[in-house]
Amino acid sequence: MKLPSGMGGWVKALLPWLLLACLLLVPVTGTSANVMKLIFITAVWTTTSLAWNLLGGMAGQVSFGFAVFYGIGAYTTGLLMHAGYSPYLGFLCGGILAAVASFIIGIPTFRLRGPYFVIATIGVTEAVRVVMNNLDITGGAGGYRIDEKQYNPTEHYFSAIAAVSLAFLVSSLIASSKFGLALRAIKQDEDAAADLGVKPYYAKLWVHAIAAVLTGIAGGIYARRAAFFYPGDVFAFQTGISILLMPVIGGIGTVWGAVMGGVIFGIVEEELVAKFPNIHLLLYGSLLIAIILFEPDGLLGLLQRLARLLRSKRSEDPGSNNPDQVLWGRGGSQGR
Amino acid sequence: MAALKDVSFDIPEKQICGFIGPNGAGKTTLFSLITGAVRPSAGKVHLRGSDVTGVDSATLVKKGVARTHQIVRPFKAMTVLENVQLAIHYGRKAVARTSHAKEQAMEVLKLVGLEHKASHMASVLSLGEQKRLEVARALATAPDLLLLDEICGGLTGTETRSMMNLIHQIREGGTTIMYVEHDMKAIMAVCDRITVLNFGQKLAEGKPHEIQNDDSVIEAYLGKSKLQVNVA
Repeated sequence: MKLPSGMGGWVKALLPWLLLACLLLVPVTGTSANVMKLIFITAVWTTTSLAWNLLGGMAGQVSFGFAVFYGIGAYTTGLLMHAGYSPYLGFLCGGILAAVASFIIGIPTFRLRGPYFVIATIGVTEAVRVVMNNLDITGGAGGYRIDEKQYNPTEHYFSAIAAVSLAFLVSSLIASSKFGLALRAIKQDEDAAADLGVKPYYAKLWVHAIAAVLTGIAGGIYARRAAFFYPGDVFAFQTGISILLMPVIGGIGTVWGAVMGGVIFGIVEEELVAKFPNIHLLLYGSLLIAIILFEPDGLLGLLQRLARLLRSKRSEDPGSNNPDQVLWGRGGSQGR
Repeated sequence: MAALKDVSFDIPEKQICGFIGPNGAGKTTLFSLITGAVRPSAGKVHLRGSDVTGVDSATLVKKGVARTHQIVRPFKAMTVLENVQLAIHYGRKAVARTSHAKEQAMEVLKLVGLEHKASHMASVLSLGEQKRLEVARALATAPDLLLLDEICGGLTGTETRSMMNLIHQIREGGTTIMYVEHDMKAIMAVCDRITVLNFGQKLAEGKPHEIQNDDSVIEAYLGKSKLQVNVA
């Protein structure tokens, strides 16, 4: 473990721990139930955002199909709890089943070049939703209800915080590992990566599975708190789009970008949508257009560009000499 | 239509074997066949006696075969060091620890003369430097057989000369080299043996000075002259 250098380095190293400490203190400070719920939802969304970013951001494999994993997590948790098992076993099994689903999607499509994987993810989402709408043991389109005797908001809260912490930890570890390096290489030039010994097919399969596990867990945690869910909600194409939008808005390919996207999305979903239904669509639409046009590195990229502008008068920015780019992004779209 | 037909040759260990030929002779296709990027419709590739025909490039790297690309393919959004580090991790040595891989990547960068650019993004390198990065990455996989595809193409005279030195150094390290080059002069200076390709077929094979004086080679490169011009 290398010690961080400079004040910026220390801030970056300590920020996640400070954030975690604040989040853990929230329940004991008498925060209102609404704020707790907001943080819960945001943490669940951020988990999926971080998960998607592993596959879509780092490895460059765009998937519209993460709703499948989310829904599998939700239904597995629901069914297992109904059978009398612990919800935590439900989260775990939901994650594992989501990983199995990821292999079923990935094994045939990752072998092919071109947009086959993207198209397959769209098709699979729709197929699964239709099946779930007509499956009797899960209540079909009518949805599924979890009857938990005790409702404990603090436990829900902590399980969501645990999930997002896990997703952050996994993302950070991958970003700084040789696996992360291989994923970034695959995103840029799959054949050149293979010429250096990387097996792109297997790397993609594995990162897809890891992302699926995290998304499945998030789906289970959401379902347990919601206590009622239906295929048109957890398996919806819209859910898959939402999971994809978060890291894109926040800053694709970077861990903090995915976090930022998840937080913004969670707040918008919970606060704005309640007050102004449909305004979120307008907001996402405009944000997406603005990001694609002006700042491909998302809001995180925009912030870093501003920071650089402020700094540039004082000193020359080394820019390229940044070892934790994947965690923080490059700032601006240079080098793209 | 076959891009390559009836081309057969052996590469002796620890030699530099050159492949030349006019545009479209099949030099790059030959490399792609050997490294598994393209599967041959007929014919075999053997590596130390074992059949490696159609084996994918990642597996071939593990068996000790690496290549560079004629048109450079650096990972532009990664640093120069990271480009080489990846090859240390996933090449034949399969170094797991990042700190070790970084040290070894630095060694390779020193060998090719890019250590001062280690922390730069690969996208800011000049063409000459990018060609060196190609060599560094391939070398970092610890190959027994290194395939160099026109690594002097587009380089200045000075850059070409230092690249020649680098090739000699690599061979002295015990690596066998297969070297494709468009430019006669570069290949004559560095190779132990040369094979000449034309229209997908083997035209001639031999030591550099034999190739230099081979009539069919001169004809392929310069065309048959009907007019004799004597310059006093």
